Amino acid sequence: MTTANVATDHRLTDDEMAAFIIRGYHILQPELRTGLNDEIYAALDGMDTNPGDAVLEEVPQLNEVWQSPEMVGVLTSLLGPEYEMFPHRHCHRNSPGTPSQLIHQDNLNDLRIEGGQVRQPDRIDLILAMYYPQNVTSDMGPTLILPGTHVLRALPERMASQGNFRDQVIATVDAGSVVILHYDIWHAGTANTSDTVRYMLKFLFQRTTNPSVPTWNHDPANDAAIRNRLESENPMSMQRGLAGKQRHFRTRMWNRLAGDQALDLSYHDKWSGGSWN
Amino acid sequence: MPKLQRLLYINAESTHPQSAALSAAIYEPVEGSITQVDPTSEGLPYESVQAAMIDGWRVIQAPDVWAGIGSDDAGEVIGFQFILEKIEDFG
Repeated sequence: MTTANVATDHRLTDDEMAAFIIRGYHILQPELRTGLNDEIYAALDGMDTNPGDAVLEEVPQLNEVWQSPEMVGVLTSLLGPEYEMFPHRHCHRNSPGTPSQLIHQDNLNDLRIEGGQVRQPDRIDLILAMYYPQNVTSDMGPTLILPGTHVLRALPERMASQGNFRDQVIATVDAGSVVILHYDIWHAGTANTSDTVRYMLKFLFQRTTNPSVPTWNHDPANDAAIRNRLESENPMSMQRGLAGKQRHFRTRMWNRLAGDQALDLSYHDKWSGGSWN
Repeated sequence: MPKLQRLLYINAESTHPQSAALSAAIYEPVEGSITQVDPTSEGLPYESVQAAMIDGWRVIQAPDVWAGIGSDDAGEVIGFQFILEKIEDFG
């Protein structure tokens, strides 16, 4: 078996990798030194203007988050060991009274994503990592995620009247959490009805090499169970046509990432021996 | 007391009024009223269009049967949209 030569301790398991491919997100709680989140919050709160891309130079403690072993393990799993931090990043300051955004995909009007690659629904080339230096409760403008939508193409203006979705995920998280998203997932910042400013640091990480072997903790003995998950799980209810499209792209995404250890997708009788129900 | 129109948008899993509601939003005829995604929401107000009809909402627009199909070029919309109304006293 060939696997990329990287530290394995914090790389994703097959089940975690399948869950990311199915849902399009992973919530991480890295072990950060005591006081780091408060330091970062105070530094951001002391700024009179938006630092834009210079936020990393203005608040260098953020490097401790991005260089944590847990973060490196997840990004290595998703993007390969030679991933890079993208130069664009943004500090979202969600003040009390801020309304909800429309649910959207980032950079939708540009078919080429920020790293210059063309959007492809069977690839993981760019990751959004959202770090929250404070606890985020449901009234503080948590990020809303529509799970599994990363392989679809959103129409934000046509969806604007839809309101709440039955299976929407509201990322209420503890301070120090990082919500790791497939770049194409449908998401929104929501209304802050509390009296507390909520900060979220959005950073982008990009793949630099095409995958040829699994870069997560992969065991081929799990292949049958993984194929079953990819072909059957529905993280969000939707019309059958779109659910089928999701399943199609999931298996393609897994196999593209697995390289020489791709799943065997030849026909098998999944009904034989099962219950009548 | 004026009688005014309340609107309920439900996107359902199919064009069938008894199919499951996937999303919902209520628009009130009240100055300053805001309808948006609500992170404190605890579920949808109705399980289906039919459940809303039983509660007195009237369907005023059935979905375009092509609306929920989508394509690689045009993009996708989740669900088939019904629009319902209730006329109620506001004052």
